[in-house]
Amino acid sequence: MTAETSPAIEPPAGRGRDFAAKPRWRRLLTGEDGIQKVIFYIPLVFMTLFFALPVALTLVWSVFERTRFWMEPGLTLFAYETFFTSARAENFLHAMAHSASAVVISFVLGFPIAVFVRRRVPEIAQHRVILLFILPFMISELIRLFALRPVLSRHGLVNGFLMDIGVISEPISAILFTPLGVVIGEVLSFLPFMVFSGFLAMEAVQKYIFEVCDDLGAGAVSTFKDIIVPLAAPGIFAGSVFIFVNGLGVGLIPNILGGPGATNAGSIVFESIVALDFPLAMAVSAIMIVTLMALLYIGHRLFDLTRILEPIS
Amino acid sequence: MNQSEFTRRLFMQSMAGFAGAAAAGSAFTAMAAEGEALRFWAPGIAKVAAKDFSAMAAQAGIEINNIAKSARADEAIQKMVVGDGQKLFDALTDNGGGMEDAMAENKAVVPLDTAKIPNWANILPDYNEGGAAAETIRYEGKVYAVPYISNADSMAYNYDELGFHPDSWGVMFDSQFKGRVALQNDYGPTLTNVAIYLKESGKIEIDNPSDMKPNEVKAVCEFLIDHKKKGQFRTFWDGFQNGVDLLASKEVVMSSCWEPIQLVARKKGANIHYGTMKEGHQTWNNVLMFTKGGRQRGMDDAFYKLANVYLSPWFGARTLSTFGFAPQMTGVDDYLNANTADFDTETRERLLDILERKQQRYAVKGNSWQNVFPTHIRDYLDWWSRLQAA
Repeated sequence: MTAETSPAIEPPAGRGRDFAAKPRWRRLLTGEDGIQKVIFYIPLVFMTLFFALPVALTLVWSVFERTRFWMEPGLTLFAYETFFTSARAENFLHAMAHSASAVVISFVLGFPIAVFVRRRVPEIAQHRVILLFILPFMISELIRLFALRPVLSRHGLVNGFLMDIGVISEPISAILFTPLGVVIGEVLSFLPFMVFSGFLAMEAVQKYIFEVCDDLGAGAVSTFKDIIVPLAAPGIFAGSVFIFVNGLGVGLIPNILGGPGATNAGSIVFESIVALDFPLAMAVSAIMIVTLMALLYIGHRLFDLTRILEPIS
Repeated sequence: MNQSEFTRRLFMQSMAGFAGAAAAGSAFTAMAAEGEALRFWAPGIAKVAAKDFSAMAAQAGIEINNIAKSARADEAIQKMVVGDGQKLFDALTDNGGGMEDAMAENKAVVPLDTAKIPNWANILPDYNEGGAAAETIRYEGKVYAVPYISNADSMAYNYDELGFHPDSWGVMFDSQFKGRVALQNDYGPTLTNVAIYLKESGKIEIDNPSDMKPNEVKAVCEFLIDHKKKGQFRTFWDGFQNGVDLLASKEVVMSSCWEPIQLVARKKGANIHYGTMKEGHQTWNNVLMFTKGGRQRGMDDAFYKLANVYLSPWFGARTLSTFGFAPQMTGVDDYLNANTADFDTETRERLLDILERKQQRYAVKGNSWQNVFPTHIRDYLDWWSRLQAA
């Protein structure tokens, strides 16, 4: 069919005629070749400016030479050597262990909440219930962590209660200013991440699946272990990464709840910067980035993380 | 006119304007600066007598535009050396004993003419050439900084729990207080104070506690690691409120800390005292500096007027009263006694008592002035990380 033979197509009344009459600036804003097209590049520009470029600079600066008060271009692995030959690597591993513990505890506490909301709460109220878990985030993290001190301290509420009911005769000092204190702080700070991502993952699990499990006589444990967890695995992993990353990087938690000299990757970076050892700070940041990229790669290989983005059917 | 023509014309106009301004010379610059507010990058502890800098400005006879500053060395270096600090600030404050060297070496601040500060005559003798604190305000022999507060950091303790007034750092390492001791979570003051204790009590040979050699840093940290492994320390505190809470809640019975921390903890009801340690203390100061940008903008007059206020007993009495910091000038006791309208009898007696106890702390032979960037700073940090990991 050629242009000559094709019947003239009248634009439908209303939209078509309006579009043809639209001024150029309006077509630019709304047309497919205008800003609408450009807008798809915004995430790319954003990620380049605020992720790729800073990561590249971090890697470059990590091999610079340290001067007394700054750094100068160079190519040295001295900062990396310093990291691995001092006790910083050990501190980093300790922080990873604390974060991993927080992830496990958050899963044990948080994921059943997500399953419960999905299964038992009426659909209309589910999102509202989940939103309740946002409330703690409305209070400054510093205040939330500091508020734990009167609860967990030697003369705090927990010790007071246990002594009142006669369970202990001396206050327990192992729940604050210890690695346990750090893990408690991380769980209480980041538990909502597991609830949110667990709930989102559970939205992809249709309710009839639970009914089928019930009909086939599957017990609660086997339903949870063999059906729910595999289906929700990408979401659980996403929540775990959020918790792990924050546990590794938020220096406030070991600072307020940890024992003498408690630290994590975030505070190692901070201490290096305060001492004006910028290459070392960059090297630790680079090691953090590589660690997290490796984690994401492993997670993707195991759970296919693209499933998180698949539309819910 | 196309874009390149526009740019060229603008450039030529700017150059002409610049040439005219340059021809007018420094007198023009000074005139332009007259009446302009001094853009002052400083923390809240640099002001007294009002919630903002208005009382300071009135006392100096200038206008001050304060921009709040943290105490972080990296922030100051980034802003002043590679950032836009020269454009933004005429004057700033920071730690003496290192930051003035860093700023001067990078030409971020300019040398000062002390003859333009009448109250320089009042400055504590330690700051004169050859004095114990002389190097905390100088770089390559020239004065770059004006000290405005200082202190000799010591140990705060709960008298009700201890039942005696300790006079030695040794009590912090006594096993009867196992798990009830806190140290500051900062390698600088903590390692320096412990080094002073170990040196003066004859346990370890240390040449200069503020600038230790690698083997000395190692010995001090191994001493701390040994005590940490035995469970001597409850925690290392970081941040003002954190330090207050540990003492006020009785979570620890003693803590190496800043003096204002124990003042606040005492106000919360705990019977906290601040001792004088016979071995000595790390002494430190905060200083005022004049930026290169400030000089280029002709802000000298305003800067020197403010510096003069900082060395006046008017400021010294008030920083002592408000924050418990040591004044940097002589004559504060006379000023307090003469100003009965501003300081009632009870306040005067309290402040004079604090001043006297401060002077006792400053007089201890083993004191050592803060060195923000010791020569072997990497050894300090490496060994500090070992202490953290232990």
